[in-house]
Amino acid sequence: MNKRLIWLLVASGSCVRAESSVRSLVLEIQSAQTLSGVAGDYVTVEAQIRNTGSQPVSDVTTYLSLVNTADKLPVDLEDWSAEKGLFIGTIDAGQVLPLHWKIHFVKPGSYALLIVALTAGQGTPEVSSVVLFQVRPRNSLNPGHVLPVALGTPVVLGSLLLALNYRRRARR
Amino acid sequence: MIRLIWSKEVRAELYTWKSVLWLLTASLVFSFTSYLLLTNKELTLLDQTELLWLLSQIIVGTALLIVTIDASSIITAELEQHTAESLFVAPIRLTDMVVGKLLAALTLWGALFVVAVPYMVVTSAGTRLTLAFLAYVALLGTIGITAMILLTFGVALLFRSSKNTLTTTLIILLGLIAPALFSSTLKTSSVAQIFSRINPVDNIFAALDNVLVDYQLSLVRNGQFLLPLVAFLLLALVFMVFAARRFERKGLVGSEG
Repeated sequence: MNKRLIWLLVASGSCVRAESSVRSLVLEIQSAQTLSGVAGDYVTVEAQIRNTGSQPVSDVTTYLSLVNTADKLPVDLEDWSAEKGLFIGTIDAGQVLPLHWKIHFVKPGSYALLIVALTAGQGTPEVSSVVLFQVRPRNSLNPGHVLPVALGTPVVLGSLLLALNYRRRARR
Repeated sequence: MIRLIWSKEVRAELYTWKSVLWLLTASLVFSFTSYLLLTNKELTLLDQTELLWLLSQIIVGTALLIVTIDASSIITAELEQHTAESLFVAPIRLTDMVVGKLLAALTLWGALFVVAVPYMVVTSAGTRLTLAFLAYVALLGTIGITAMILLTFGVALLFRSSKNTLTTTLIILLGLIAPALFSSTLKTSSVAQIFSRINPVDNIFAALDNVLVDYQLSLVRNGQFLLPLVAFLLLALVFMVFAARRFERKGLVGSEG
């Protein structure tokens, strides 16, 4: 992971510090292998948050953060995902909670995704490792054979129109 | 007698280059829409079911417009061209004429539906919604278009003028279609919600949304939209009967004034 990408992820909405002190919350993205797809697909980001400490942690909210690594721009998740933040509340010591985000691949490109957990009253967020994935473009020049129908139907009707016109003139 | 009038209308009105030109125009609209929906980079990101819903709105909206324009002149043409006199000298009742012409106008809707079928089949491929798509567009379109034809015939019998009938029915159609296209955020007020509940075009679009986007395929689950639509059809029938009785009371001489 280069420094520039880390700073982009920071800029995309969440404050990230490379080294944090004592970490009790651990975030892990489990669907890292299944994230790539085609523009237009809906995929689910599956992750989990674990409290490895000996004390419960209260008022935790987790966020998704996404960066277009090709354009080197943070992505506005409004189009990509209905809910950016998931309020967790309290996690007991040793407890593991699942996290799910359904995201819509809007634009083809290369992306980096991570999850951030913010705890009220703490200045340092916990972050997951970064997952890199590709969104391939949708090449749909003739999806479902629409082209023959879109061109063929007007041509057939146009021919019928000409035939009717010809027949009418011939009768005169 | 009804069959005679229907076949005469089909030959004179529909089996002509003008009518085929309408079908050609409709097919160009459907071609443009379906091709755009399936190939445009932004629009292809829509769910396929939402795409079907958009196409169904285009099909029903185009058919409503074309059939209403056709129906607005189908009766008044007899009055303006003074062919109604010879029609009524023959043993033809007004009811026969109206029903025959209603069937002729519905035949145009049938032809438009046939033109739309390939587009519906192609765009719904792989969704398992093809039959529901075809069935509900046919059902909702037929109820809505029949109601619009009856309303148009009623206006035609009252006004006895193609120009006035066309203007009035187009304003009514615009008044029904435009609010149906408003986004849901514009329909939050109670007045807008009440109008939306009784607006037949709104009910057609909402039923199609319910079927194609929400997979509510049974008639029972679409009853909330079908009932107001059927009520609009009955109201249009009552209005047409009222206009027909008034027309009969005044007689053909009324058309001269």
